[in-house]
Amino acid sequence: MSSLRSIPKIRDSISYVYVERCRIEQDAKAIAVLQEQGRYVIPCASLTTLMLGPGSVITHAAIKNLADGSCSVQWVGEDGLRFYANGSHPSSSVERLYHQARLWADPAQHLAVVRRMYMFRFSEPLEDGLTLQQIRGIEGVRVRTTYSRLRKQTGVEWKGRDYKLTKWEDSDPVNRALSAANACLYSVCQAALNAVGYSTSLGFVHTGKPLSFVYDVADLYKTETTIPAAFEAAAEMGLEVESRARQLCREKFVEQRLMQKIIGDVDSILGLKSLKEEADPVGHLWDNQGGSVHGGRSYGDPLDEQEKG
Amino acid sequence: MVVFVLENVPASLRGDLSRWLFEVRAGVFAGRVSALVRDELWAMVTSHLGNGSVLMLYSTNSERGFWARSLGDPSRQLVDIEGVLLVKTH
Repeated sequence: MSSLRSIPKIRDSISYVYVERCRIEQDAKAIAVLQEQGRYVIPCASLTTLMLGPGSVITHAAIKNLADGSCSVQWVGEDGLRFYANGSHPSSSVERLYHQARLWADPAQHLAVVRRMYMFRFSEPLEDGLTLQQIRGIEGVRVRTTYSRLRKQTGVEWKGRDYKLTKWEDSDPVNRALSAANACLYSVCQAALNAVGYSTSLGFVHTGKPLSFVYDVADLYKTETTIPAAFEAAAEMGLEVESRARQLCREKFVEQRLMQKIIGDVDSILGLKSLKEEADPVGHLWDNQGGSVHGGRSYGDPLDEQEKG
Repeated sequence: MVVFVLENVPASLRGDLSRWLFEVRAGVFAGRVSALVRDELWAMVTSHLGNGSVLMLYSTNSERGFWARSLGDPSRQLVDIEGVLLVKTH
């Protein structure tokens, strides 16, 4: 299973697994999660993201197995609520990154992407000629309507989005559920973007953060996934609202076919059409006249080398 | 699609099950039945298990496309980790 084609595509994979207080080791040729009560084998080649919570220890060999299967590893806080670090397998292609960077750096194309991102989130077409500020306003109203509809449907009290980075426990259950669900969505988006070679930093709507593009992409799906998952989890009034939110969030991902759609959606919003699926084994060297020349060979004059030798 | 794997069960139970499913290997049954029939089969198998063990795999619309239930084999336990099916061993 070493060829690029054998690596599972994002669309076929399990979105995420969150583990905490465990040791993760290589087990035969897979990886196993060891806890006091027993051990689980993780299907690492068909997993998109492994989220490691507090108290998890992972071996070098396990990381290598995860990287072989292109699984992204994320170190997160309790219940996945804080993101600390990410480890991911290098993508096989830079074409998407170059394309993204070109659009990002050109103000007109950047604006067009922002508009397409907002438009993506409306099920019905908007009238022509709206300014970006108007579209942003309509989108804001739409999000508030979603909150209000879910408040009525689930009976959960909603006093607005409110969370404190330092004191999670002070937030109300629906806000904690929302944070846990969003953390999963961010992880999945980040892993998907990394896997195909987009930059997570070059955001269009969000800017100035290392995960700006992750927030952009996650916003495309929140009203159908994390927001309803959080309200449903809070409505059940269970003790482990964060865990329940993650479970419901996974169900929404399946319902919405998130893993199957995410890369195609981002490609289409960025107007990316054709792409070589398999990268050349050898890269190119940048050239100011021809764009690029083939790498992996010497461009020196053979006679010069003979004189030196 | 549903698959049953039976180990060390009474012969009559295998006979019963083969009325609905194909026994493609000794103790391995496969077929396509409705969710209702599948649950009835599960109830029938588990109530006549004796000292044996059973594993049932079936298609669902979960993230992996299938789910599983098992009974009778204490060395392998199926667990649900926030919606992901994993196998726990000791």
